[in-house]
Amino acid sequence: MRRFLAIVGREWRAYFLSPLAYVILAAFLVCSGWVFWILLASLSGPNARAGQALLYLFTNTFVWIYLLFTVPMIAMRLFPEERKSGTIEVLLTSPVSEGTVVLGKFAGAFGFFLTMWAPSLVYVIILRAHTPIDIGPVASAYLGIALLGALFLAVGTFASVLTKNQIVAAILAFAMLIPLFSAGLLDVLLSDPSKTDLIGYFNMWEHMEDFARGVVDSRRLVYYVSLTAFFLFLATVVLNSKKETA
Amino acid sequence: MIEVQNLTKTYPSQTAVADVTFSVKEGEIVGFLGPNGAGKTTTMRVLTGFLPPTSGTARIAGNDVVTRSKEARAAIGYLPESAALYPEMRVTEYLAYRARLEGVTGPAVKSRVAEAVDRCLLGEVAHRKIDNLSKGYRQRTALAGALVHQPPVLILDEPTVGLDPMQIIKIREMIRSLGRERAVLLSTHILPEVDAVCDRVLIIDRGRIVGEGTPQELRSKLAGTPVVRAVFKGDVAVRDALAGLSGVVAVEEERGPGETRARLECLPDADPSEEIFHLAVARGLVLRQLTREALSLEDVFVQLMRHDEAAPAAAEPEPASPPPEAAS
Repeated sequence: MRRFLAIVGREWRAYFLSPLAYVILAAFLVCSGWVFWILLASLSGPNARAGQALLYLFTNTFVWIYLLFTVPMIAMRLFPEERKSGTIEVLLTSPVSEGTVVLGKFAGAFGFFLTMWAPSLVYVIILRAHTPIDIGPVASAYLGIALLGALFLAVGTFASVLTKNQIVAAILAFAMLIPLFSAGLLDVLLSDPSKTDLIGYFNMWEHMEDFARGVVDSRRLVYYVSLTAFFLFLATVVLNSKKETA
Repeated sequence: MIEVQNLTKTYPSQTAVADVTFSVKEGEIVGFLGPNGAGKTTTMRVLTGFLPPTSGTARIAGNDVVTRSKEARAAIGYLPESAALYPEMRVTEYLAYRARLEGVTGPAVKSRVAEAVDRCLLGEVAHRKIDNLSKGYRQRTALAGALVHQPPVLILDEPTVGLDPMQIIKIREMIRSLGRERAVLLSTHILPEVDAVCDRVLIIDRGRIVGEGTPQELRSKLAGTPVVRAVFKGDVAVRDALAGLSGVVAVEEERGPGETRARLECLPDADPSEEIFHLAVARGLVLRQLTREALSLEDVFVQLMRHDEAAPAAAEPEPASPPPEAAS
């Protein structure tokens, strides 16, 4: 456990020692700031409903674009960097299992992801100061973001084990995330309600809207947690087999 | 501390290590000597648990590297090839991370880091970023990282590669002092290094051990015919006279206008130097140079490699290992 924490801590701190992290953080603040401004504009309209507006903070298109683009960039350095410098050998010859290494790196990246979202709490605080908002949906919306982020990062972690090149890792992650994300959006093409239900199970957009409305469905929790675990498991398997060629 | 039995590691395309057996005791520094690509790094990677062996066993402090991998790995301090470090970290930060990764906890982390900094003379740069360090300091930081948890076994892959002579001397001194209370296995392709640092040498070529012993032993084992070289002033015919001296087996003469060079192959234990001197005096020749050649470790190395090349056909049909055991 202590070894796991050593990896998480190093990984998380490493982000703040690279310029990429600050670019990602700054871009996130610009985008979310803009969204917040739109939100305020709509809130000050004559027939504004506070709950609806807050939902927008988490379900706008920006959030998706942002997740799909930045998560691969956050995860891309996890393994290629260590391979390039050779530190992967140090890591894998220390008395730590491959699973712990994967989990530790993932957790460090997830920590950075959460840090990235932390400033958005300011918007909630500002809104709360001026208009009555329900904290429940806000909390569940953050839970949704965390679950989505975890799944996307797990995919990114898996992609980064596959290659020695950071850019390739990012593109691979993106290429895996796009189908994962858009599969759930295909329901518009189907008329058969039973199939629509099936696809709805994968519809992340809808999941997120539910989370933002304050609906926490246990099926969704299972969906995200198990898929996250699945991709991390794959990453561990690949890491194990990749040692031969390192 | 390190026990290797019939270790073999095959890749789909080649055999990297073939049936290697050796051991390293506590307080012993063993040099793993061989040309690049001989299988040194592969052997070390198997010992450190980074690669699984195809067959054979390796034990570190009594722990099998496959079945008790974690215990074995915990007993090793490993310095991989080309000093792998995190450039963005500070020296002490990195050492603390390595210590925690190896299972050091609580306040011990700080004291172990301080000890490693002391030991590797890193005090001046302890709080500098690794990225900004010179190559020598980087190598020392990597070495400090390998020993920060005070392991009983140190495995160092080319610890002095790419350093300048002063830095090399420093690192060698460090390794020697470390070897007093530990088992150290270090690889190198630099011959003077094993002479300067190691108690024992394993010479490896194309995956197999072709020579083993102390540097002196290896030298005397392969010393063969002693050679004496003499240089006389002017163009003089000395071959026949030299050939008549006791203990001389063969004489090669190389005559030029300025000087005459002679190379005498002698019987073992024979030394015709004195007789050559008297001969020169008796004949009124000017003796410019008289040297008895000691076989350097370099020569030993080259000879061993040649032996191996002489019988390549015998070495070829090696991969007769059981086929069902695929490398996993």
